[in-house]
Amino acid sequence: MHAVIPYVVAALLFGLGVYGVLKRRNAILVLMAVELMLNAVNLILVAADSTIKAGLTGVQPEAWAYAVPEPRAGAIFALFVIVLAAAEVGVGLAIVLQFYRLRRAVVLDEVALHEHDHEQVSADHATVAEQNRNAQVSS
Amino acid sequence: MTVADALMLALGAIAVGSGALVVTSAHLVRSGFYLVVSLGAIAGLYLVLGAELVAWVQILVYVGAVVVLLLFAVMLTRAPIGPSDDLDRPALPAALIGGGVGLGLTVLLVDAFRWTEYELPPPGTGRRVGEQIFGAWVLPFEVLSILLLAALVGAIVLSRPDIGARPDPNAGAEPAPEPGPIGESPEVAARLERIAARQAAAQARVRAQHAAEQATEVAEPAQEQTREDALKDQARNVVFQAREGAPKLGRTPDMPLEPAPDPRVIESTSTEVSRGRPELPRGTRKGPPRELPSGPTRDDEGT
Repeated sequence: MHAVIPYVVAALLFGLGVYGVLKRRNAILVLMAVELMLNAVNLILVAADSTIKAGLTGVQPEAWAYAVPEPRAGAIFALFVIVLAAAEVGVGLAIVLQFYRLRRAVVLDEVALHEHDHEQVSADHATVAEQNRNAQVSS
Repeated sequence: MTVADALMLALGAIAVGSGALVVTSAHLVRSGFYLVVSLGAIAGLYLVLGAELVAWVQILVYVGAVVVLLLFAVMLTRAPIGPSDDLDRPALPAALIGGGVGLGLTVLLVDAFRWTEYELPPPGTGRRVGEQIFGAWVLPFEVLSILLLAALVGAIVLSRPDIGARPDPNAGAEPAPEPGPIGESPEVAARLERIAARQAAAQARVRAQHAAEQATEVAEPAQEQTREDALKDQARNVVFQAREGAPKLGRTPDMPLEPAPDPRVIESTSTEVSRGRPELPRGTRKGPPRELPSGPTRDDEGT
């Protein structure tokens, strides 16, 4: 097995993820690109897990190289990263949906970071309710 | 070039190709499905590399849960079906940075590993991974479970507006006055005016017609009131009653109505004729008149 193949695949996937995060405007697509990056890291962890020990054959059996008798730590880290990604997607989508409920948009360019907009939001709600009432009356 | 190499090349090509489609597709939903393909190919890579449990967890958690969650979010945010043209920023800076990162990492890793042959370790079984997790890595495992719980609670708090909301800074102040027609946007105001004008015109037309009929009646008093005329009067009664009983603007149904005079008696219509007749069909009356305090009038009708 040539270890360079999964590593190169992981590097390309990470580059694609960076490209997607920077290019996409839709928050859900940004989350998808983040998933690609996390998977690239997972792939590197698993590949290192299966190649590093074979690469250590000529090395003296030092304590740092064999901390546990059978080092499968890369796979376990990958499992942990998968769990972290699931938590991240859950909270991220909750934020996206809440923002959509407030503003009817999921476009990241239009997120106002610098205004303190309590009043703005409540005023929006008031006008929306008023328009709904007018629509009911007129129909 | 062994079988493992060929498999990894094929799966890697699938993963990278569908990953590229994820970040370039103009369809939101297709991006999600290309993500499924990419993650499945990566799970195949895990299988080739001997991490069996990670591969199945990848398929279960990523393909089965995360992508479904993403597609649910696509659905809930009313994403358009079909291509949308406003998904992307200008691609050049992103392509520069992303390509730089990807190519830099590729060069680094290729330089580190060259074309060296490694022997694959025996495939890890779930038993060994379990012993590792609950032996050497039990503390991170427990911390991770707490983190999952925190993420769960955080997602619930975020998506429920009634808990965890910051107090409104101007909660103590009086509520904003109800925006009147003056404060409306010009389109809404114009629409309301048009509706009011149309209603006024319709009322004026009906009144004028009625007045003209009455004038002809006065002009020809000798004309006998036929059964047809009585029916017309009755129909007019129905129309006017429905109009009077219809819900008024600014009044909710459970608000007590002011005790109107008998709503079925209308000036200058021949109520005497309709009084004596059987009850009118109910289908002509709508809504709130059912709840009018008009019991006495019903009783009157009965007698």
